[in-house]
Amino acid sequence: MKSISSFINREKSAGIIFCSPFIIGFFIFMIVPMLLSLYYSFCDYNILSPPVWAGLKNYAKMINDTRFYKAIGVTFYFALVSVPLRLIFALLVAMLLLKTSKLTAMYRAMYYLPSIIGGSVAVSILWKRIFAVDGVLNSILGIFGLNRGFSWLGDTRTAIWTLIILAVWQFGSSMLIFLSSLKQIPASMYEASGIDGAGKIRQFFSVTLPLLTPTIFFNLVMQMINGFLAFTQCYIITQGKPMDSTLFYTVYMHEQSFSFFNTGYGAALAWVMLGIIGLITLVLFATKRLWVYEGGL
Amino acid sequence: MKKSMAVITAVLMLLMSACSGGGGSSPSPAATQPAAQETSQASTESSAGASLIVSWWGNQTRNERTQAALDLYTEQNPGIEIDGQFSEWSDYWNKLATAAAGKSLPDVLQMDYAYLEQYVSNGLLLDLTPYIENGTLDVSNVSESVLDSGRVGDGIYAITIGINGPSMFYNKTLLEENDITIKDNMTLDEFIDKCREIYEKTGYKTALPYNVDLNFTEALLRGVGVQLYEENKLGGAEENYEIYYGLLKMGLDEGWHISPGVLAERAFGSVEQSSLVYGSSPENMSWCAMHFSNQLTAMQNAAPEGVEIGITTWPTADPKLSSYLKPSQFFSVSADTSNPEEAVKVVDYWTNSVECNEILLAERGIPASSVVADAITPLLAETEQLVSVYINEVVSPNCSPINPPMPEKASEVMASYKAIEERLAYGETDVVSAAQEFYAEGNRILGGN
Repeated sequence: MKSISSFINREKSAGIIFCSPFIIGFFIFMIVPMLLSLYYSFCDYNILSPPVWAGLKNYAKMINDTRFYKAIGVTFYFALVSVPLRLIFALLVAMLLLKTSKLTAMYRAMYYLPSIIGGSVAVSILWKRIFAVDGVLNSILGIFGLNRGFSWLGDTRTAIWTLIILAVWQFGSSMLIFLSSLKQIPASMYEASGIDGAGKIRQFFSVTLPLLTPTIFFNLVMQMINGFLAFTQCYIITQGKPMDSTLFYTVYMHEQSFSFFNTGYGAALAWVMLGIIGLITLVLFATKRLWVYEGGL
Repeated sequence: MKKSMAVITAVLMLLMSACSGGGGSSPSPAATQPAAQETSQASTESSAGASLIVSWWGNQTRNERTQAALDLYTEQNPGIEIDGQFSEWSDYWNKLATAAAGKSLPDVLQMDYAYLEQYVSNGLLLDLTPYIENGTLDVSNVSESVLDSGRVGDGIYAITIGINGPSMFYNKTLLEENDITIKDNMTLDEFIDKCREIYEKTGYKTALPYNVDLNFTEALLRGVGVQLYEENKLGGAEENYEIYYGLLKMGLDEGWHISPGVLAERAFGSVEQSSLVYGSSPENMSWCAMHFSNQLTAMQNAAPEGVEIGITTWPTADPKLSSYLKPSQFFSVSADTSNPEEAVKVVDYWTNSVECNEILLAERGIPASSVVADAITPLLAETEQLVSVYINEVVSPNCSPINPPMPEKASEVMASYKAIEERLAYGETDVVSAAQEFYAEGNRILGGN
């Protein structure tokens, strides 16, 4: 009894006890499944019966799988296009919202709203309707006489863009982060540069952007990782059609694991993805010192 | 005092997090969430005694009727609780597979011919033979061949809960308005002529089962004496696979087939989104759709006001060879169920109770028991009577036995078929190459690679 009460009375213990729910949850729901998945990736597993050890068979299969490369290509394309676009929009809108007026709070809420609801199934279904042959977009084009009955979701060139636009539309969360960083830039910097003769545009590129680079870096890493993990939108809207032009890596993984019952192969795919994302994050961090201003304000 | 408050709060938080399931901070794929919910729900149910989970896939009509039939059963059998769970076709199998992995399959599950062999070979279904022998499951009014369709190896693992046959639904109103007639047992050439005629006269296009599944192709192959799935390989030769691909290509080239872009947006296999009943103009609507006879009611319900849906056979080179009576779906019992007696009784109720089938009214197909089928025929609504007549007078006298159950890799073969079909539709390959490629791919997948 004495040791328990002395344990509770120590300062450190409060912290440990408060952390424990999260740590236990993290362990049970993240670490254990991850380790199991690593085990499955080395097995023949079809979900319906226990896994059978098969060594590197799944990884070897991946090398010859053309759809695997296609999925990587599509996912990279999606991430590398949607993330910069998203950040650019976020920054531009954040700049616009710097000047506070009576309506600023309302605008901020409006722009933030898509990022809360955007990842949901309901919005994905609506999005599908917007780009359908008889959907909203074509109807609006029809008002200007431009409706050709074009199938945005059925054409390999445009289908991926419907998904990119959906991702970019959810720029609100990045925008708020930029907004708070922008507000931290001291006005004295702008005054000083103004005295030295810098115009608005020069100020943006020479004062604002450099001081924002830590935030840009943070957003870039986070959004890039999320971009690679995108699943719901693709699964609901296109399922990889037409002709795998929108086959996200996660959707391919899901298909292999649950539709084809090649769950061991799906697990191997998951770990390869972890490796790829890890590598990209590593590269981003390695090149960080080249362009991110570390000095603080 | 402060420290003990901290401890109490921490313990409370621990309890709360244990109840809600904890979890990390990174985004977890949406797919794992419903699976986790499913297994936790299932485990609490089956441990509560005579509590059963019954699962099925279906459409709105079927969901309502099935739930009502289950409610009747619980009324008649107090002490039994039934939790009915349903989902769409495509999601059903994902959920079921995950439940199987978690050893928490529903007690009574709706099963399909396409997945039967796979589930039996993985030991997931209960062999019903002992229950048939001791009388719990009464199949005396079910014909031998229908009972056999649920047989895999030496045991019976599934009971048919509806018999149907391949059928082509068509827009009867449209055809009557334009004085176009079609007859049962059309050949492919007659069908193609009709498609052209209808497109010229009315502007309505045709929708072959593009990007849906291989059922229609299988029937076309049967029409030339070829069985799609043979032991570890595809049946027939490359040229046989040119039949369907050629038909599709011809339709697209000549303009009477709906453009693939339109069909790409529809949830495949869905009755409500079929281009027969849904679309904004004749350009993206079809005069016909290939389905199975038990879907006529749902299709008629989904059709716009004033449109009557007719039913006839799939066009094919040889109707007698192509046509077959198919168990539309089965009920199976999970091998791990904690209440096998009770679960089997539910299946028995489904098969033999006239009251139950009066509620269901043949939505899944004609009941397997001849006694029940006869009893409910007068009660069937007009649409279902049509189905009954169709099965008994058009299909039964002119059909041949169904192909054996699909092998384990069938879903991968189907995905390959659909991918090649897509490329053909978008003009990236031609009919002969498509057939060759599919023949090679299919054999590779079934051969065990």
